[in-house]
Amino acid sequence: MNVAEKAIRSFVLFWALLGGLLLFLVVFLNSSSVVGGVFGSPIPGDFELTEMGVAIAVFAFLPYCQLTNSNVTADIFTAKASPRWIALFGLISSLVAFMFSILLFWCMTQGMIDRYNYQYTSAILLIPMWIPYVPVLFSWILLFLAAIISIKEFYLDIALSRAV
Amino acid sequence: MDPIFLGLMGLAVLFALIIIRIPIAYAMILVGGLGITFINGPALVLNQLKTLAYFQFSIYSLTVVPMFVLMGCLASRSGLSAALFRAANAWLGWLKGGTAMAVIAACAGFGAVCGSSLATASTMGRVALPELKKYNYSGALATGSVAAGGVLGILIPPSVVLIIYAVVVEANIVAMFLASIIPGLMATLLFILTIAAYVIVVPGSGPRGSKIEKEEFIAATKGVFPVLIIFGLVLGGIFFGFYNPTPAAAVGVFLVFAYGVVTSQLNWNGILESIKETASTSGMIYLILLGAELMKIFLSRVGLPQETASWLMEVGISPTMVLVLILIGLIILGCLMDSLSMILLVIPFLWPVLSEINGGIYQGSEGSGFGMSTDDLKIWFGILALIVVELGLITPPVGLNVFVISSLVKDVPMIEIFKGVIPFFCVEILRVGLIIAFPVITLWLPTLSSG
Repeated sequence: MNVAEKAIRSFVLFWALLGGLLLFLVVFLNSSSVVGGVFGSPIPGDFELTEMGVAIAVFAFLPYCQLTNSNVTADIFTAKASPRWIALFGLISSLVAFMFSILLFWCMTQGMIDRYNYQYTSAILLIPMWIPYVPVLFSWILLFLAAIISIKEFYLDIALSRAV
Repeated sequence: MDPIFLGLMGLAVLFALIIIRIPIAYAMILVGGLGITFINGPALVLNQLKTLAYFQFSIYSLTVVPMFVLMGCLASRSGLSAALFRAANAWLGWLKGGTAMAVIAACAGFGAVCGSSLATASTMGRVALPELKKYNYSGALATGSVAAGGVLGILIPPSVVLIIYAVVVEANIVAMFLASIIPGLMATLLFILTIAAYVIVVPGSGPRGSKIEKEEFIAATKGVFPVLIIFGLVLGGIFFGFYNPTPAAAVGVFLVFAYGVVTSQLNWNGILESIKETASTSGMIYLILLGAELMKIFLSRVGLPQETASWLMEVGISPTMVLVLILIGLIILGCLMDSLSMILLVIPFLWPVLSEINGGIYQGSEGSGFGMSTDDLKIWFGILALIVVELGLITPPVGLNVFVISSLVKDVPMIEIFKGVIPFFCVEILRVGLIIAFPVITLWLPTLSSG
């Protein structure tokens, strides 16, 4: 494993853990809002902060899913296929993830620019709605890098199984 | 191109992609996205993708999903399962087959804080299997009960799959939770009776446990209070309309977290592992949801569900027959695929078909295909679908619960575990039959709360 790949792997994990931390923050926010609500003062805008927080967190999980192969597949149909075929299927999936990350990065950049130009804000706290797109776009970049690592791995698997 | 042909082609390609191990999420994204491109051109799809993913990931009613996933992950590492099993065993252990019954009861209790079947089976297996062995339970009964008990995790609220179903068909999550309570308790009771019958039919498979002292009985019973409090605050709060599911889930995560930290059973490593598991599970779920949304748009544009419904009515198959056929199909598919992805894969197509057969989404109970309003049908079908989908967890060849348990006990061959599961499987079929024959079992609590 070379330095770049190692760095990407650690950073993808770190980014997912940050997402987890954000999820914990959303949990504490909601819990305090419930307690506050009992005493008549819930936290204003907890709805929209929850929506944004969870969305950003889940986008941050996507690159980690790619690297750990957590996206479920139905393995049963190809359970008897040779390792080489399975690596080939893996390669196809990684290529799909690779292209999807590019497409979504491009589309959501347009989406962010639209939201910036039209000055959309959230309803209560008036948070500009282009802001949550920034970490999301970063997640797509990480998914792109993670997909490259998977492509490389499956490619090596194919090459190796040919050698054997 | 004829839209119906295009829709059928889409479904065929989707299954082909899934067969060659393309992740289910990406298969749906590809087919859905390209399908819409075929009908409406690329500009529309690109325009939708600007905001669709963010919109989909920030739906408020979905925010409970990662929270309940996190709650389950933390609960598995907080020793709650051990406390539950200890108490259940103190209550039931003296009976013939009592320790196996205790597994079922403890699984039901654990299902009340954890929404995943697999997590329930694996945590409870780790706690209970050594005990069952100590008391000389037969391998088949011991493993069979844990595998079956795991199924309870999914039906007893909070259940992640149930929430997903509710979001996909736009049902009320609280109503779904209420509807699942009686079927869940029914399964618990039926499983316990199954064990009682099993130990009579197969003598020596489940010996009586030792008598326990009064102190242990009291101490063990006290151990259940944390679970009761968490369950009461989370679901009680939802049912009595004190708060929405999202804050309730947050309170649940916080309480489980606090319990684990205070009893010092949850350490740093446990927290990190919980976050990682939550990351991979929720990331996977949301990506499939995005794919399901694209498929939903594609299928409704080509009008495939409507066509299928009118075709079924022309052929003259009765609505109940359609339902039974769908459930059988789901059992078969459930044997090949994991439950959550299956719900997301087939419900966007099947639900509109059923709703159409019933007379459309605004149909009241009078003159409807199933003799109930479409809103009720949504709930009833959801519970049925969930039960049969979960059966796949304990049937060959993919039976994930069985695999998890098999990895925990090395000395019981897989075939013994499947044998142990058979009685529970039969009881499950009986339960499905009862719920089909008497929809009131599921619909009573939701109607009670709404009226």
